[in-house]
Amino acid sequence: MTTFHLGADKRTTLDEAAALVLSGSMVALGGGLCARLPMALVRAVIRHGRHDLHLVGSAHSIDADLLIAAGAVAVCEESYVGFEQDLGLAPAYRRAAESGTIRVRESCCVTVLAQLRAAEMGVPFLPVRGIKGTDMVALHPEYRRLTCPFTGDELVVVPPLAPDVALLHAPIGDAAGNLHLDQPYVLDERFAHASRGVVATVDRLVDTAEVVAAGVTVPGHVVAAVVEAPFGAHPASCYPGYGYDRPHLAGYVAAATAGGDRLAGYLERYVYAGEDPYRAEIDSDRLTSWSTSDAEWQELFR
Amino acid sequence: MTTWTLDEWFVVALARTIRDREVVFHGFASPCAQVAMHVAKRTHAPGSLLIEGATYATDPVPAFIPPTSNDLALHRDAVYRMRFEEFFDAACRGAVDRMFLSGGQIDAHGNTNVTAIGGLPQPKIKLGGGGGGCNISATIGTLTVWTSRHRSGRTLVPEVDFLTDIGHRTPEGDRAELGYPGHGPEWLVTELGVFDFDDGHARLRALFPDVQLSDVEAATGFDLRVELVDGLLTPPTEAELEALRAVDPLGVRRAEFGPDELKREFS
Repeated sequence: MTTFHLGADKRTTLDEAAALVLSGSMVALGGGLCARLPMALVRAVIRHGRHDLHLVGSAHSIDADLLIAAGAVAVCEESYVGFEQDLGLAPAYRRAAESGTIRVRESCCVTVLAQLRAAEMGVPFLPVRGIKGTDMVALHPEYRRLTCPFTGDELVVVPPLAPDVALLHAPIGDAAGNLHLDQPYVLDERFAHASRGVVATVDRLVDTAEVVAAGVTVPGHVVAAVVEAPFGAHPASCYPGYGYDRPHLAGYVAAATAGGDRLAGYLERYVYAGEDPYRAEIDSDRLTSWSTSDAEWQELFR
Repeated sequence: MTTWTLDEWFVVALARTIRDREVVFHGFASPCAQVAMHVAKRTHAPGSLLIEGATYATDPVPAFIPPTSNDLALHRDAVYRMRFEEFFDAACRGAVDRMFLSGGQIDAHGNTNVTAIGGLPQPKIKLGGGGGGCNISATIGTLTVWTSRHRSGRTLVPEVDFLTDIGHRTPEGDRAELGYPGHGPEWLVTELGVFDFDDGHARLRALFPDVQLSDVEAATGFDLRVELVDGLLTPPTEAELEALRAVDPLGVRRAEFGPDELKREFS
């Protein structure tokens, strides 16, 4: 679905980049679980007061939960939102799902992948082997069943999923939007090609030669805008730069679980105050110390 | 004298469901299964191929198990890291032999609910969600299902409120009728004991030694079939305990258990 985005210089500000995400649009969030999440963009989208977003993707955590906590989401089609065994269920997602303030259209990673591939290929559907017999079917009236003309198997077929925008964060990228990611790429490459455009943040903007030497994972011609945002994935990890900020995440989960003034206080301090004050509060020495020894690395998780 | 705790024995019980030379995968948010795969690889299943649950690294030797599944610590010494697409394609075409699955609710056929207690659209408790399990539970060779919350009485239920992942039989038919190539759940391991599946229905085969049959009866919501056998839940070996403690120095596996279960000690 991508219209290629040509141009040698797509650098912009965080504020202008986030403004490309319109209310009501379908948004793919890059990264996975609590790694390489586009958090600086998420915070900026919230500051713009965007609403009625439709989130799509695989397994996510504070990115989706914070957008939901801020009232920015109408539909959630992620395959998982939560903080694993470490910090448990996603508080805002849970509350919004239980009170009916968002529509939960939970999906499966494989189904989302098939739908993104259909969008990339420009075909009207692709089949998946599973889903029949599960209750996932009832959440998705857009799915159909088809008898395979070759084998006679009855398969579920799913339509393309073409996000309006993919928000990605990368450790490095250049002015044209060429991005280097470390594995796992999760769905970032698929989002990049299936969506109408990528809006990216990078921890460091570097010369093209440095991105090429590291390896271009997402090419600039699918990227609409790129912003240098150091610690732009925080409190998620973005190796090799920084690890998972467990105290911050625990603080968020506690505030979002409490709701009310505590959640409002979190949003005020960490979102509405702006990205510069946010960054000033990050304990960067601790989060970047992981590489000094395994003992230091383990300390991040105690 | 060697002593070990319930969380350790539970992980060893999961590890022993892995056969040598299997291709095996754990989902995210599953530290017990994750540790179990490394215990198996370092003891009885050295020829297995381990695929990490959210990094898709193959046969890593983790620096340690961190409390989040998508972390660089889980890549160490992995020669290769699959792409997301590559792993799910392999799982869908039947190239992966075993997956570990859990759920907030599990029924007698091994169907699991990781989506919502009370179902959707009006959940009583919205759980995190199923990741990729919905599709790949249909196609992966066999499943080890587990829960560390059997005793609550809320987990093993007559009917799941939302069927996220496929067991042996759903209201729409059994696996053959649905056209699913995978063989479905082989084991159900809980903090009380071990079940296998007899004609697609869970059957209790062994109890941990500090558990009475009445405990299981009180905690199990589905029709309880019992056919106990000896030798299934034998104590962990020194090698298994050593492997387990080495790979999980932070004790991340313990996050899956309630405080009373963690007090259970054996010797």
